[in-house]
Amino acid sequence: MKSYQNTLSQPELCLIRQISALASAASSLDELLQAILDKVIVSVDANRGFVALVDFDRGELLIKCSAGEGWDAEKMHQRLQLHASEQKGITTFVAATGKPHCTGDVSKDPYYIKYFDDVASELAVPIVDAYGRTRGVINVESPKKNAFLEHHEALLLALANIASLGFSIDDHRSRERAFVEIGTELAASPDIPVLLSRVIRVAAEVLRFEDCSVFLLDKDRHTLVLEASSSPLKDEVGDASYRLGEGLTGWIAEHGQPIRTTDPRNDPRWRGLYREVPTDDMAAYLGVPIESRDGIIGVLRVLRRKTRFPWFQHSFTTEDESVLASIASQVGSMVQNLRLMDRVVGAERMAAWGEMSARSAHMMGNRIFAIKGDLNELDYQLLQPEDNREDYRGLVESVRGGVSRLEEMLQEFRDFVLATQLSLLEQDTNQMVKESVKEFFPKRSKVRLEAIYTTELPKVQADSGKLKRCFAELIENAVSFQLDGGLLRVSTGLAAAKEAQELCGLSPKRKYIKIEFSDAGPGVPDDDKEKIFNPFFTSRAKGMGLGLSIVKGIIEAHRGRICEAGTLGMGARFIIFLPATGL
Amino acid sequence: MCRVLIVDDEESVRAAIERRLKRDGLNVHAAAGESDAIEKIMGAEKPYDVVMTDMVMENPDSGLNVLKAAMEADIFTEVIILTAYGNIANAVESMKRGAFDYVEKNIPGIDVYDLMSIKIAQAIERRQSSMITVRRIDQFARTHEEG
Repeated sequence: MKSYQNTLSQPELCLIRQISALASAASSLDELLQAILDKVIVSVDANRGFVALVDFDRGELLIKCSAGEGWDAEKMHQRLQLHASEQKGITTFVAATGKPHCTGDVSKDPYYIKYFDDVASELAVPIVDAYGRTRGVINVESPKKNAFLEHHEALLLALANIASLGFSIDDHRSRERAFVEIGTELAASPDIPVLLSRVIRVAAEVLRFEDCSVFLLDKDRHTLVLEASSSPLKDEVGDASYRLGEGLTGWIAEHGQPIRTTDPRNDPRWRGLYREVPTDDMAAYLGVPIESRDGIIGVLRVLRRKTRFPWFQHSFTTEDESVLASIASQVGSMVQNLRLMDRVVGAERMAAWGEMSARSAHMMGNRIFAIKGDLNELDYQLLQPEDNREDYRGLVESVRGGVSRLEEMLQEFRDFVLATQLSLLEQDTNQMVKESVKEFFPKRSKVRLEAIYTTELPKVQADSGKLKRCFAELIENAVSFQLDGGLLRVSTGLAAAKEAQELCGLSPKRKYIKIEFSDAGPGVPDDDKEKIFNPFFTSRAKGMGLGLSIVKGIIEAHRGRICEAGTLGMGARFIIFLPATGL
Repeated sequence: MCRVLIVDDEESVRAAIERRLKRDGLNVHAAAGESDAIEKIMGAEKPYDVVMTDMVMENPDSGLNVLKAAMEADIFTEVIILTAYGNIANAVESMKRGAFDYVEKNIPGIDVYDLMSIKIAQAIERRQSSMITVRRIDQFARTHEEG
């Protein structure tokens, strides 16, 4: 590169120093580019200028900043169309070659496309990044012929170098933001599918890895199954799969090594079973293994599409690879944590099952024992010479009562077993609560009903039948504890993050809907606040005492929480938090 | 008339057993759980001849506590433990501690009430024979003292 000192004037050197200082101080890349353009058109006496940036995903040049005469929103848009369709024009030529281009008479320039009527001279220099990729073009125009000289070009090149530095800073900022966002999203993700879809969203939005997919090894560790994708492949989530070692993706999982290539189709390992983009459109492939403490658990891969521009650099950089690898390692440890949590929850549930089975067998056995006693008596009575019809009736009533208690127990048992099997649909909380109150709050009751519904709540993913079963249980509880009259207050609203965290340890990063049922009954002693949700903890004669444990099971299967937060003597206060969708 | 105490925390179970045993001409009393039973055993003017108690009530080993109380009140009170069907471990433990026998509540195809009636008759027989033996020993001791 030529020495600036020899060609540049003192004011020009001063401008370079000024812009250099701005490169680190500017709050955004846009601000820096606009400042460069504004200063440069004055310095080189141009009447107009613009900076066009390369859109790597679409392979197009987009006009980012403009300065000088004649610009409006429509013109900026038209200019972009022109470049995209004609595949020529000085800006495109400069972007393609990575070399500056200067013309003193546009009418004789083979690359020039007329856009503004008054242009005679045009000077364009590329902004080239550390990987040799053209990131954009700085373009200035003048109505005078031979307006731009060698020192103007040198100045623009110097400023383009500073702009390139701005790109590096901007790239680092996006990466930093992506890592912070991914870290936050990971911490707040309740399950693996949500986690993966969020990671992919951040990869697409912040890192511009638009066609991104995650494959995880299945339980037998033989097959990689597509778990999430930001590309059209997302329709095949759960179906698309590679055997371990099959194709590029299978190879990555088998060997634990990344693959970065601009020619995936000619790689001998290539199978092309599932493609984010049509094979002919595929320009570059980058895949990294997802590792956890137990070894490789999957593959994270991104693809880049070909563009209409043959000069366009599609390849992924080493930096792209290391960024993707860092994301993969975060994903690996989070997936492992979530799986571990699932195992712990599963083990707890199994233990609860053992207890549950023994207790129900005992309770049902007792009922049946009593029924057999009645039958024994009936048998005896029927053998007696005198006809004791009244006794028969009493015994039949007793048997009927016993059978009906057994049926209640079976119903509870079924509800307990099915509590976690949900069919989820987007539901309106207020509607579900209103319907439950209408159906289950007794028409004639000494209990006064107060309902406060907050309108325009976000929706929830819910099994409305099961949730209504929960609300019914809480309504019936409140009524049965206030037989001599009292109050049932039902309310819905958006949960305050602090309250959800303090009461139920929920992440403040998620939005929850809060549903409250409070009464003016005896309330719950502090020692029992958690125990009331245990199976068989009951102070009511009905069923087996599974009521609130079923409620808890259903709410937790919705990834929500329930707690009792009332004061003894002041009434019970049941609070349910359900995760809101789309937030 | 022989005095029998029935201990079970299910009202309908107590009622059914009481009714069946009364048919056999027994003087049947009932207690609604471990603590009620212990109170009744300790407070009885005349010891019960037989105590028939459920194993699992307030506690998983409530039956064993009732057994202990009954034997403290009168070493010759016979105790029959009611257990859940198939819970042999519990039954064995109660036998080791001196129970007369155990009855499983839900034996498929068996009328356990008739079985209970038989066991109680056997328990009463053993208590009576124990009493006779004691009386004889007493008599023998007295004869020797006199001699």
